[in-house]
Amino acid sequence: MLTDLRVSFFLASRGILRGSRGSLYLTVLIIAMVFTNMIFMPSIILGFIKVAEDQIITYQTGNIIISPHGDERFIEDVSSLLEKVNRIPGVLRASAHYGTGVTLRYKGNSIGSTVVAINPDDERLVTDVYQKMSDGDYLADGENDEIIIGIHTSGHKDPSLDMGVTLGYVKAGDEVIVEYTNGVSKAYHVKGIIETGSFYADQGAYITWDELESVFDRKVDYATELIIKTHPGTYEPEVKTMLYRFGIREKVQTWQDILEEAMGRAVQNFSMLNSITVVVSLIIAIVVLFIVIMIKTLNSRRQIGVLKAIGVDKNIIIHNYVFQVLILTTLGVIVGTALVESMVAILTVYPFQFPDGEVTPVVAASDLVNNTIMLYVASFVAGYIPAWQVANEDILTAMRS
Amino acid sequence: MITAENLSRVYEMGKVTVHALRGVSLTIQKGEFVGIMGASGSGKSTLLHLLGLLDKPTEGRIILGGIDVKDLTDRQRTRFRLKRLGYVFQDYALVPELTVEENVFLTSMVRGTPKEEYLAQSHQILDRIGLSDRLSHKHNELSGGQQQRVAIARAMVNRPEILFADEPCANLDSESSRNVLDLFKQINQEMAQTIVMVSHEDWHKRYFNRIITLRDGEIISDDPPS
Repeated sequence: MLTDLRVSFFLASRGILRGSRGSLYLTVLIIAMVFTNMIFMPSIILGFIKVAEDQIITYQTGNIIISPHGDERFIEDVSSLLEKVNRIPGVLRASAHYGTGVTLRYKGNSIGSTVVAINPDDERLVTDVYQKMSDGDYLADGENDEIIIGIHTSGHKDPSLDMGVTLGYVKAGDEVIVEYTNGVSKAYHVKGIIETGSFYADQGAYITWDELESVFDRKVDYATELIIKTHPGTYEPEVKTMLYRFGIREKVQTWQDILEEAMGRAVQNFSMLNSITVVVSLIIAIVVLFIVIMIKTLNSRRQIGVLKAIGVDKNIIIHNYVFQVLILTTLGVIVGTALVESMVAILTVYPFQFPDGEVTPVVAASDLVNNTIMLYVASFVAGYIPAWQVANEDILTAMRS
Repeated sequence: MITAENLSRVYEMGKVTVHALRGVSLTIQKGEFVGIMGASGSGKSTLLHLLGLLDKPTEGRIILGGIDVKDLTDRQRTRFRLKRLGYVFQDYALVPELTVEENVFLTSMVRGTPKEEYLAQSHQILDRIGLSDRLSHKHNELSGGQQQRVAIARAMVNRPEILFADEPCANLDSESSRNVLDLFKQINQEMAQTIVMVSHEDWHKRYFNRIITLRDGEIISDDPPS
């Protein structure tokens, strides 16, 4: 058996090395393109999901979010809760949010929006929004009459860059009017403009907790949500379990839960799209390799007949062609991997621009391995069938062809 | 060495039945150089194919080296051809992707002969037929006569019990044909090699030590050359 395989490989290697160069290059190129097609789409999807993950953690919810339980609107006694949460192992810092609907007005423009009250010192330890001020500065604890606004609400200098209704290019230093639902209407000095790349974060407007209390004219010890940053390397579901164990009664979600809730359907659709791409690619690979080997075997019918006549077993002949497709597939996968890596390198420098940020392809090792295995299986089938057909032909019929 | 009893071969070609061989019986002894001759369509190639296990008779039986080949499976017939028979075809039938040397040692490789041994054997036989300076040449870099000598070397490298040659000079000019026939004669005489060759050229008769002539699928004469 080993000797037979050795002879098959010997014939296959000579067949490829001394066969038509044009056919070799073309076949390898097609397999490489098929492989690239199989890898590239999932890498974009993965990149898109990665951006969503990063943005959720970095600019929106931190690693974990606590929200009111059931039909309740607020988390009560938030100061005690903050103290408790900050003591839980794995928690780096928690920050309370109080979001309220408002109307923002600027130079005749008005839009409905949400203003979120924060404690800036806590917030700096939970999100990186403070690092993404495109104009002006971030808030500081205790500040009154100051507001920071996201770029999708403030608007760009070039309106064509706006993604919806805006205030019409608000800059740091400008004054905007905020009308609260309790009837308070107040002028705010715009301290800064936020531009994180996250659609959610860039839509909001933020004031300090002290400012909120002055608007409501009372102490506010309740929040609409609590966002938590965990220590690097901490497994969030463990912290979630710990929070429940420490007696937290509110709804606790990790960023993975949020992502599943927000993008689960999209991810499912992407996966379906990806499966269709992979199946179509595999069919192309099978058809191409089938045709290549069919042409090779049909052109070599007489030679195959002669080999059988001089005592070469038909399995050696079949394995010769199977080895040829496996070698072609190996070369295709190598070229394809190089192509994918080159595209990833280029798109890392020049990423795709999506509303939720810049997306660079992320190639998962498991995708590389799975698609390579699938391609090898497809190649094996595509090489075996035509070789088997011709190798089973009667010797004299083959020799007379 | 070879015994054929009452061999018949019938081909069905659509509605037409062709009797290529009709009850042929013969015996060939070790060391004979047998020429199978006859006009086109006389059944000489059919007889060679049956004796060489490339085809199966419709009726009759063949005993090669004491073995009745009728009951052999396809796989056993392949092994039999590999280990005990050698073939030279009209159009050389070299594997185009292989060099001269590789074409010659291919069957030794299939037999599982160690590399050093099959390289030595192939070099030795190529040296003997005067092609040791063409080891790494491909078939399209050789003349027709040289290619046929390589085919003979391939057939002889494993020292087969019987060498079958199907009109080996049909595509050669007369000088190349003479060289090839001289080589066959030399192999037959020096190595006592049994050779069964199909030919339709009258002048080839002088190389054979026995001539079987066929007509319409039947033996009409079986004599030494006159």
